[in-house]
Amino acid sequence: MKILMKEDFADFVNSLIKDDSWNVIGVKAKGTKFAFDPLESAGELRLDYDVTLLPPKKYFFPQRETLFTYSLATGRSSRNLVEAKQTVIIGVHPYDIVALFHMDEIFRETKSDPYYFEKRKASIIIGVNMQKMSKWCFAPLMGCAIVDYGYDLMLTDLGNRYAISVGSQKGGDLLAKYAKNITDALARDIQLVGQKKRDIVNMSQQKFDFPPEFIPELLKKTYEESDFWENHSEKCLACGSCVLVCPTCYCFDVKDHADLTLEHGERVRTWDGCLLEDFAKIASGENFRPTRPTRYRHRYFKKGKYLFDRFGFISCVGCGRCGSNCLPNIANPVDLFNDMYHETQSMGLVVTPAVNPEVNIQTEGNIDYVPRLASIVKKTQMTANETFFEIKLDDGTDIGHKPGQFVEISVFGIGEAPISLSSPPTKKGSFEICVRKLGNVTTKMHALEVGDRVGVRGPFGNGFDTEALKGKDLLFVAGGLGIAPLRSLFNFILDNRKDYGKVFLLYGCKEPRELLFGEELAALTTRNDVEFKPTVNWCPENEIWSGNIGVITTLIPQVAFDPEKTIAIVCGPPVMYKFVIADLKQRKVPDDHIIMSLERRMKCGVGKCGHCQINHVYVCKDGPVFNYSKAKGIPEAL
Amino acid sequence: MKPRVAFFDFAGCEGDQLQVANLEEELLTLLGQVEVVSFREVMKEHSDNYDIAFIEGSCTRIQDEDRLKQIRKNAKIVVAIGSCATIGGINSLKNSRDSLEVRRTVYGENAKLFDTYAARPIDAVIPVDAYVHGCPIDKDEFLHVVKSLLLGKKPDIPNYPVCVECKKNENVCAFERGQNCVGPVTRAGCNSCCVNQGTICWGCRGLVDNPNENSHKEVLIKYGLTVDDAISKFKLYFGWQERKR
Repeated sequence: MKILMKEDFADFVNSLIKDDSWNVIGVKAKGTKFAFDPLESAGELRLDYDVTLLPPKKYFFPQRETLFTYSLATGRSSRNLVEAKQTVIIGVHPYDIVALFHMDEIFRETKSDPYYFEKRKASIIIGVNMQKMSKWCFAPLMGCAIVDYGYDLMLTDLGNRYAISVGSQKGGDLLAKYAKNITDALARDIQLVGQKKRDIVNMSQQKFDFPPEFIPELLKKTYEESDFWENHSEKCLACGSCVLVCPTCYCFDVKDHADLTLEHGERVRTWDGCLLEDFAKIASGENFRPTRPTRYRHRYFKKGKYLFDRFGFISCVGCGRCGSNCLPNIANPVDLFNDMYHETQSMGLVVTPAVNPEVNIQTEGNIDYVPRLASIVKKTQMTANETFFEIKLDDGTDIGHKPGQFVEISVFGIGEAPISLSSPPTKKGSFEICVRKLGNVTTKMHALEVGDRVGVRGPFGNGFDTEALKGKDLLFVAGGLGIAPLRSLFNFILDNRKDYGKVFLLYGCKEPRELLFGEELAALTTRNDVEFKPTVNWCPENEIWSGNIGVITTLIPQVAFDPEKTIAIVCGPPVMYKFVIADLKQRKVPDDHIIMSLERRMKCGVGKCGHCQINHVYVCKDGPVFNYSKAKGIPEAL
Repeated sequence: MKPRVAFFDFAGCEGDQLQVANLEEELLTLLGQVEVVSFREVMKEHSDNYDIAFIEGSCTRIQDEDRLKQIRKNAKIVVAIGSCATIGGINSLKNSRDSLEVRRTVYGENAKLFDTYAARPIDAVIPVDAYVHGCPIDKDEFLHVVKSLLLGKKPDIPNYPVCVECKKNENVCAFERGQNCVGPVTRAGCNSCCVNQGTICWGCRGLVDNPNENSHKEVLIKYGLTVDDAISKFKLYFGWQERKR
């Protein structure tokens, strides 16, 4: 431990500011509050602050960030190069240091987010032990009031001097280069720092009525208590304040912005929040978390249960910003968890500390948000609203997908949309998608012609396990556009027909003119190794239909399959699943013989942006293919 | 061929068209993309042959409805600009008062000669394809809407409250400063410009789709407003929307 007199510390900060190679950030007063902002002089520093309006994550994951710029004329898009300038952030409280550690884990999982880590690596964190604590702060209860990792330097105010713990080589180097009159701490100073830390732990005005290790279990036990969630969220303004000020919230939205020439533009990501009304809404208008209680519940589950199960930490550091920013005062986690605890006690439930989950985080390579360029080689209008596209990557490679995976298709200037791959991997040289005109991107795609360029990212998602299906009888159940992703598997099966048992295809749409892949499916009727049954919900008088009339489930009794040998593969509009599953179960199909492909708002495709989450799983990464035996335990799935 | 653009005004202050005129250099670049055929505030010429009609002001007379319907017939795309056109705006304040009394205040003895009815937004009369909210409109958002229309996409108008932008801008909350604010129920998209300047949100962009007005009123009262104050706070811009709800 080192000691620096306060005037020498001010000189240290000022000499950093004078050196143009550093971007120096510190805590400054903002009205009656405090904020991290660029420092013009050491005199502006307010290390006696209680809490800042926003946490320092804004320097690594900014409110608005350009992912790349594009030019329509050249077709080229290039990644926004992150400013390499080194940044030193002075005055980070321990809870915010822990929060950055959480953000690191989240942005590292599966694939690293280069935008975040390039800025993170170019930064130096100078922490400061709390001198004041906001009345909302409960960091001590979360074990985040003092920290012995995650900083480069850590200051403790000892009156006329700072005690400085050096946490890293680059912290030590910075001190050695820019600070003068550094002395080694005396035993007295070390003792004093220890005393200060012990005092901090007792500074919180908040109190849990139970040990915080109970939180994941408390949540689990109250998930279904809809009255509890409705009562607690009744006053929720859905204003998003609690999530936007949170140091561990990481959800984002992605949008294209064209400049005035419309020829150039950028793709940007901005902070988003799961409390906001349209967070889980998709282009068709379906909103998968439409009510305030469900969104309110999701936030607490995310912090206290889902991230705990995934990473082994409760993703709340007790900074108290959510509580202090909530106008109707319903966002203080301490109040909510105390109420939850008393609720479980009144129900006579036994709550136990959560068992630490087995954490197995794999990470490989970087996320690439810049799409590959591709060209439309074939375009066929299938119905009034659906068009079939064959697309070839400009670099001549195969997309290299598994049946059931999806791609993110970009129309530059408009945006990006997730589209299921419709062709089997056995088709080489190009891939196929079937696009329904719904949102901006899909509507614009319909106006594109052969030869036009699009961007492609992916393939994403888990896809179907074709190996596990070998030797099984297969019952495909497709509703409407659900035929598009199933076709990638169905055609793969046809290309490897001998590896599989009986094959049934049940396909339903609203009326005959909405039938997709009509010719291709008609050709199935001449095959004797596939049983194909189509249906329409109704047939208007001016249309011709000789097949079944009725919803998709009316076909299930019409096919003779052996439930023990058959795997049902289901995809359709969200409303369809529970009815199909109920009828399959009635035919004694075991739960683990039902496989579904689910639709959500897949924005980033890599399990980061948060939009496609159903409870603890990311549809874009852990799905979109789910086995019903697992999905039935995910309440938001069906 | 460049899309032909026309501007029209109804009951309003023309402040939104002024914002467009104030685009200056950006307006010139924009003019590379469109042809303005009618814009009373900046040019003499007029044509009824246009693709996109920008309409400012609210509809306050039955006679205005015919003119609006004619514009709808001529234009492929109708865009309402400014609070009066998008949500009824300040003009709607008169809707809760006696019509004759209102006219007497404005026109004195001749009140009866001036016909008027409840002020309403454009979409109460004709279908509207896009909105540029605000009082006055934000220049950047106007450009965003124009660019979106030219690109063939639906303009991205947020359905979340101003609080979102206020938090991103790291403002000290107006309530924390001892003031009251309707930001928690007002549609964002203005980049919380008023609060950024140290004042409050007055709600000029109208309500979000599903505002929690009861909770917001409770908040206003908790922070020192009376029930009447809280109601009038909402009425400044939300008069028409409140009545409709």
